[in-house]
Amino acid sequence: MSLFFHQLYGELWKLFARKRTYIGFGAFFGLETLILLLFQLPSVQRSFGRIIERAGYGFESYFSGLTIAFLILYWTVFLLGGLYIALVGGDIVAKEVEDGTMRMTLCRPVSRLRVLAVKYIACLIYTVALTFFIGFSALGIGLLRQGVGGFFAWQPLQGIFFLYDFGPGLQRYLCSLPLLAATLVSVTSLAFMFSCFNMKPVSATICTLTYFTTDNIFRNVPYFDSIKPWFITSHIETWYHIYRSPIPWLRMVEDFAYLAGADATFIIIGVVAFSVRDFKS
Amino acid sequence: MIELRNLRKAFAGKPALHDLSLEVRRGEIFGLLGHNGAGKSTTLGILLGQVFPNGGEAYISGVSVQKERARALARTGAIFEAPRFYDYLSGWRNLEIYTSYSARVPKEKIAEAVETVGLTKRIGDKVGAYSQGMRQRLGLAQALLPDNELVLLDEPTNGLDPEGIHEMRLLIQQLNRDRGITVLFCSHLLVDVEQLCDRVAILNQGNKVFDGRWADLDSDRHQVRLEVDAWEKAAPLLSAVTDLQIVERGMVSVRKDFDIAEIVSGLVQGGVRVRAVEPQRRNLEEIYLSITHNGGTRDT
Repeated sequence: MSLFFHQLYGELWKLFARKRTYIGFGAFFGLETLILLLFQLPSVQRSFGRIIERAGYGFESYFSGLTIAFLILYWTVFLLGGLYIALVGGDIVAKEVEDGTMRMTLCRPVSRLRVLAVKYIACLIYTVALTFFIGFSALGIGLLRQGVGGFFAWQPLQGIFFLYDFGPGLQRYLCSLPLLAATLVSVTSLAFMFSCFNMKPVSATICTLTYFTTDNIFRNVPYFDSIKPWFITSHIETWYHIYRSPIPWLRMVEDFAYLAGADATFIIIGVVAFSVRDFKS
Repeated sequence: MIELRNLRKAFAGKPALHDLSLEVRRGEIFGLLGHNGAGKSTTLGILLGQVFPNGGEAYISGVSVQKERARALARTGAIFEAPRFYDYLSGWRNLEIYTSYSARVPKEKIAEAVETVGLTKRIGDKVGAYSQGMRQRLGLAQALLPDNELVLLDEPTNGLDPEGIHEMRLLIQQLNRDRGITVLFCSHLLVDVEQLCDRVAILNQGNKVFDGRWADLDSDRHQVRLEVDAWEKAAPLLSAVTDLQIVERGMVSVRKDFDIAEIVSGLVQGGVRVRAVEPQRRNLEEIYLSITHNGGTRDT
């Protein structure tokens, strides 16, 4: 087992020694700062204030760092987070095959399954690290700029309209981060699956993003309402149910079970595809 | 040490190996020679379990690579096709990462391998800054770790300058001589294989056309050019010599162990003045081409 962790350490070193790994972190920090700046515009604040005041609450009480952090998280994480996670997941196997380093690794007395297991776990760690970075950096810069205050969680498309005091709001925000990371694992898993195929790394990333984008489009077509549960993006959004009151735990468990099944399917397909390949240029 | 039994492989319907069988003995340097596309890398790929054969099996130390890959490769190192590294990491870190897939290798062991290949001064630098020769040496270092007794090398002198080729050859000979490491050496360069290998197998379009010692590659006869004053007088005298054949005017064929002095002595005694005697040795390229173009097989 200790050899496994030794190998995982090497894999993480490879991943985090690349400058490209930090593009996502840098991009998100920049984006968060931009969104925060946009929220300083009087017109933006007026629009936001109208929504809160219509519900009978004070704008000043709920236009806080926590509220802004939630908005940043909600608007950016799926598209952009998905992009950078797909980039790393799509690269992790396919890039090494393309570069020839996978051939060098497989000269060793190690099973292909072990190699994939180490790489997949490294991807999961990256997914969690990026998600937590996004969550905490958004919270950090939000609190620095806007300070402590009430938490207004509002997403009309999902029917979310809840207001919490700072303490309970912060709890829900912090609990949402591991849930969000868990849902993004599906992006990781699909990208990883494509990466195991005989394709270029960029193709694996594009296939992943195409799949999720198409899935999301179909999910929002009214005629497809009856088959909505079959679209993976219907379940990936389960992370924000933590902001509802009461929290629909059963529904969240169902969603995570679906995602776990999808992840397992992606991984098995990837492992099989990789295991039967010939590695020769 | 290595045994290949009836290996067959086709890629997308195109045959790459036809029923290849050969053996590599412990402690020898064995050459696998052939043109580009002959099947050398495919053979190596099958030995490393990275290519799945359509038929046959490969064994290392009696263990089937196809059935028990990890056990078969336990003390095997390789450079398969070109050595590739993580250019953004140091040579040392590359070695640590690759060897972690074999075992936890102590720093001292890695340092020893680095010292053996002569990379101590540059091992802390990023591989992206390495020359081709340094990369090949780093590749050899990783093939030696952690404590391998068999090393499979796929064109290890590719891209090296003459000095680099010479150093690589010396290194391989040193590893074989001093540590008893068995080497399977794939190359399309005749000179490399001739200078290094005890035995050689030649592949031609997926078929083995020769398998044996270098000395057995050539025929047991050679030609001798004779320059004499009167060929018409010399020819009957030469025809009377046992085991000598007249090829053409001025050229005879004898066994390699034939004493040429006998020819000269016989001609002189017969009253023929001999001006020059020149044994003709076929060069390696001619021998190789005659074997591969004839398409026949020779096993010794």
